[in-house]
Amino acid sequence: MFLNAWSLALTLTSIAAIVLGAIACRTAIRVLRHWDPASDSERQIRLEGEIWLSSTLVAYGLGFQIVSVVLFVLAADEFCKVIVGAMCATGALLANSYGMPALLVKLAGVFFYGFWIVLHQLDIRSESYPLVRTKYFYLLAIYPLMVADFSLQTLYIAGLKPDIITSCCAVVFAAATGGGPNLLTIGSEGLQLILYYTTMALLAGLGGMLLWRRSPWLQTFYAAGWVWFFGLALVVITMVISSYIYAMPYHHCPFCILKPEYHFIGFGIYGALILGAFLGISAAAVEPCRKGAGLEQVVATYQQRAVQLSLGLLLLFALLTSYHYILYMAAGGEV
Amino acid sequence: MLIELENVTKVYNQGRSNEVQALTEVSLAIAPQTMVCLKGPSGSGKSTLLSIIGCIFAPTSGRATIAGKPLARLPDRFLTVHRRATIGFIFQRFNILPALSVAENIVLPLLPLGVSPKARRERAGALMDQLAIRHREHFPAGQISGGELQRVAIARALINDPPIILADEPTAHLDSRLSREFMQIMADLKAAGKTIVITSHDPLVTEHAAIDRVIGVKDGRIDVP
Repeated sequence: MFLNAWSLALTLTSIAAIVLGAIACRTAIRVLRHWDPASDSERQIRLEGEIWLSSTLVAYGLGFQIVSVVLFVLAADEFCKVIVGAMCATGALLANSYGMPALLVKLAGVFFYGFWIVLHQLDIRSESYPLVRTKYFYLLAIYPLMVADFSLQTLYIAGLKPDIITSCCAVVFAAATGGGPNLLTIGSEGLQLILYYTTMALLAGLGGMLLWRRSPWLQTFYAAGWVWFFGLALVVITMVISSYIYAMPYHHCPFCILKPEYHFIGFGIYGALILGAFLGISAAAVEPCRKGAGLEQVVATYQQRAVQLSLGLLLLFALLTSYHYILYMAAGGEV
Repeated sequence: MLIELENVTKVYNQGRSNEVQALTEVSLAIAPQTMVCLKGPSGSGKSTLLSIIGCIFAPTSGRATIAGKPLARLPDRFLTVHRRATIGFIFQRFNILPALSVAENIVLPLLPLGVSPKARRERAGALMDQLAIRHREHFPAGQISGGELQRVAIARALINDPPIILADEPTAHLDSRLSREFMQIMADLKAAGKTIVITSHDPLVTEHAAIDRVIGVKDGRIDVP
């Protein structure tokens, strides 16, 4: 199903990112072999010029890839209109065995690609390119992920056939007792909500402590907390929160909340969650960069702002995900 | 030393059919508060040398250290800040914007720094008084004489109070009276603590009493007589 606007946009975006990445990988190999900031040689000076262009291209390429997650979900939501049995992106993504893996790789990519952009932004804030080797080594490490991302997406689009019969979200995410092939269950609704709000409160507490007193250990706990919370939140949104948003007890779906009939609330929820988790995790991940020449203060400032922003996003996420639940409880039923 | 070049080579269009080797293994050092003239025939590489000192170009190989930093090799955001604070340029054709007034041309380098309009007016006013062009303050720069235009260029180069002034063939389009006036202004700036590098083959410049050293440039190398 390549010949439609969504597939073409996704494919062209990914090809652009892959090509830009490949060009930069060539530079990366040269950087790893020859980079020597103390040298005045022609090769070193040429490399210094080259990394500017290549880093800018990579930053844009990875930026495209990050945006392509949204594009991918919107595309899947569009594909469901022509796939038998699919009512939303869930059905479209399950229409073949590449849909969900492609989405998961893309989601992981947001974090890995985003971290390269953070490294690049830190690097260009020092006069002496202290992170050049690190960021180009890291680029070589994440390039296979970009290729996997592109390959899974292409296989998914190529394997989509309008006559495939798939399941709708109501079946896929139905409660285990309902007989459907449930994908996500980690306990009762009450247990899930207790875990969810307790983790949120712990994260807020850890973040507050970090703002008050910086410590690498606290930073690591905060990042680990976000990793746990990210996974937990996805499950709780799907299994509990979403049905309050839909005001339908048996409708559990992580994608329908992106639809206009629910005021696109899903974009706010996922945006806050993904960005908050990224900032919370990256604040700890950049800790080793403090050792780079001229980066101590730059990294400290980034960490401080990342924690502040992640706390703000956690609050926004809490408000967005709790609004319908609280309203339902306060009103004593459907509103 | 305020300006140090070590084995600087500059090649334009490297690897192409129109490759030009403008400088070859040039090394020189210039002390603070001196006035140096780079002398050589047209095409000898003196303007390229001046552009490398001014961090407009990075060398193809070698090291150019300006005020203790290899400025031209700094990342762009740092290069711009350091160059703006360290170096004032006077171009051969002055590069003045004719549609702007004299005062507006002079304060141009202050605009990216966010200096307040009042401070900009004060600094430009002091320079216009010093260079005797106050009476042209609101004139469009396109309507003033060549000598006045050059003073505007000097004022613009000085507005950030940089320690280094670079002038590329500044007297090439001036008569001898204006050339002498220009050199007197440069002598006064040197006395005020500036380091000045001028490219020229005009005897009025090369033989001026305020010039501490004349460096010959020939075929992209320092010409040792």
